[in-house]
Amino acid sequence: MSRESSPELFDHGQPSYADVNRDVLSTMLETGPRYWILLGSMISVAGVLFFMPWIYQLFVGVGAAGMNRNAVWGTYLSNFIFWIGLSHSGTLLSAVLHMTNSQWRKSIYRSAEAMTLFSLMTAALFVMVHVGRVWFVHWSFPIPNEMGLWPNFRSPLMFDVMAITTYLTASSIFIYMGSVPDFAAVRDASTGIRRRLYTIFSFGWRGTAKEWHTLGWAYTFFAVFVIPLAVSVHSIVSWDFALSVVPGLHHTIFAPYFVCGAIYSGTAGIVTVMYCLRKFLGFERYIGQVHLDNLGKLLIVLSLIWSYINILELFSTWYSGTSFEIEALKFRLTGFYAPLYWEMILFCAFVPLLMLTKKIRLSWNKMLVISILINIGMLTERFIIVATSQPRKFLPDAFGFYLPSWLEISITVGSFGIFATLFLIFIKWVPAVSIYEVKETLPPPRRNS
Amino acid sequence: MAVMGAFAYEDDFLGAAEKLKSAGFDNISLLSPLPLEEAYEVLGLRKSRVRHFSLFGGIIGALAGFALAVGTALVFILPTGGRAIIALPPYFIITYEMTILFGVLFTLLGFHFVSGLPAWHDAPYMTSANIDRFVIVVEGATEDQLTRAEAIIKDAGADEIQRWVADQ
Repeated sequence: MSRESSPELFDHGQPSYADVNRDVLSTMLETGPRYWILLGSMISVAGVLFFMPWIYQLFVGVGAAGMNRNAVWGTYLSNFIFWIGLSHSGTLLSAVLHMTNSQWRKSIYRSAEAMTLFSLMTAALFVMVHVGRVWFVHWSFPIPNEMGLWPNFRSPLMFDVMAITTYLTASSIFIYMGSVPDFAAVRDASTGIRRRLYTIFSFGWRGTAKEWHTLGWAYTFFAVFVIPLAVSVHSIVSWDFALSVVPGLHHTIFAPYFVCGAIYSGTAGIVTVMYCLRKFLGFERYIGQVHLDNLGKLLIVLSLIWSYINILELFSTWYSGTSFEIEALKFRLTGFYAPLYWEMILFCAFVPLLMLTKKIRLSWNKMLVISILINIGMLTERFIIVATSQPRKFLPDAFGFYLPSWLEISITVGSFGIFATLFLIFIKWVPAVSIYEVKETLPPPRRNS
Repeated sequence: MAVMGAFAYEDDFLGAAEKLKSAGFDNISLLSPLPLEEAYEVLGLRKSRVRHFSLFGGIIGALAGFALAVGTALVFILPTGGRAIIALPPYFIITYEMTILFGVLFTLLGFHFVSGLPAWHDAPYMTSANIDRFVIVVEGATEDQLTRAEAIIKDAGADEIQRWVADQ
C-alpha cells in the first residue's frame, strides 16, 4: 500500500476522517452574524466604490478618468494586469503541485484556485471599465453579426480575449471537478433545498473506484492543460505592451517578467488568503507551519527571479544605447513617479529577503504583512509600467502626464470589495479546504498497519 | 437488489473485495471517501479512456483555432502595411489557446462519458462512504449469491451490512 500519511502538515495533531468532514462542512453550514456583517460591508464597498463610479463613468464617458491624449492607458489597465497576475498562482501552483504529488498542496489548493477564479473575474471587469462603451464588448468575440465584422486576430488584444476566456473556462472546470466529491459530502450532510442543490452539483457522486479513477485521470489532464495555459496567459498580457513600439515597453524580457511577477504576486495573495482562512474560518488545524514555510521559500525564490529580471531590464535598456529607451528609463528612475518605483523595489526585492529567517517565515502575522507589502509593490509595478512609458514616448511633443482621477482610485479600491464579496460567497458554497485530499494526507485506517 | 458492507479498515475492505472477485462476483462497486490505488488494481482499472477525449479535443481545438483565425482574416480582410493577411506567428497563439480550451472541454466530456455521471437515479449508497467507511456493493445477483456475498463480507470484518432494493 503506497499511501503514506504526512503528520508534519498538522500543527495541532492529525484529525480523523470524520473530523475533517465535520470541521470543513461546519464552516459552510454554520453562519454567524460576523459573516453577514462582513459580506454586507464588502458588497457595500463594491457597490459604492466600484459600481456607482462605473455607472457614473458610463453616463459621462471615459474622459471622466484621468486618461488623456498622450496617456490613453491608465489605472484600469494596470489594475487589469494586477488582477490577472494575482490569478496566476492559484491554478498554476495547484496544477504544478498536483503533478509533483506534493502533500502540502492538499489543504490550501481549493482556496488558491478560488482566488484565481475571482481575480480573473475582477480583471475581466476592468477590461469592461477601460473600454468605455461596454455595450460593444461582444465585438471582441468572433460572433457572426449583421455588419459582417470579425475580430482581427493579429492584434494582441484579441490574443487576450482568447487567453482569458480559455483561462476562465479551464480554471472554473478545474476547481469544479476537484470539488465534486466534496459536494457529495455537503449533500450527505444537508437537508431540504440545500440537499437537492448539492445532489445536482455533485452529479450523483457515490465515490466508487470507477468514479475516483476517472476523476483522477481527468484531473491530471486538466492540470496538464492548465500549466502551459497559465504561462501563456500572462505572456499574452505582456505582449499587449511589448508588441507596441513604445520605449519602456518594447522588451523581449516582458513575457517572463510578467509571468514571474504574476506567480510572485499570486503566491503572496495565497499567503494573505490562508491567513484569513485560519483566522476567520478556524482552519488552524489544516493550514499550518509547513504550508507557511513552503510558501515563504517559494516567495524568496520568486522575489530573487523578479529582482534579477528587473536588473536585466535596466541593463538591456542601458545597453541598447537608444536615446528614447534611456529617456523612458530615466523618467522611471528619477521622474515624477520615481518614489513609486523605489517603493516597488523596496517591497518586492528587499522586504521579501526578511523571509530568509525561518523565524519570520513561521510567523503568520509577519508573513501577512510581507505578503500585503509584496502585493502593494506589485500593484505599483503595474501602475509604473503603464504610467511611465506611454506618456513618455519618443519626442517631447508626444509627452504627456497621467495622474489617476478620484474615479479610478475609487474603482481600484472597490475592486477589492468585489474580490472579497465573491470569496465570501464561495466559502459558503464550496468547501474551502478539500475534504478528500486532506484525508489522503492522514494515516490510512488499516487493521494491520 | 444489492448487498452493502461497510468497513472501518482499508485492508479489510480490499481483502473482502479480492475474495469476492475470486469467488466470481463481477458486479461489485468499491465506495471510498478518498481515491484508493489498490481498489483500482482489484477491479482491474488501468488507463482511462478519458485520455482519448483529451487528445481528440486538443487536435480538434488546434484545427478549429487555426481555421477561426484564418477564416475571419479571409472574410474580413484588413490590409495593414503590406503585411500578410494570413500571419502564422499570431495565428499560432490563437491555435494554442483553442487547443487548450477544446482539450479541457473534451476532457470534461470524457469524464462524464467514462464515469457515467451525472447519475441522479437511485443507487446503493451509504453516506458513511463519504466520511470514514469503505463500502463494498454487490449488485444484480440472485438471493443465494447475495447471501454468499454477505457471508464473505461479514467474514472479512465488515462493521455494518445492509440490503438495498431499488425503488419500484
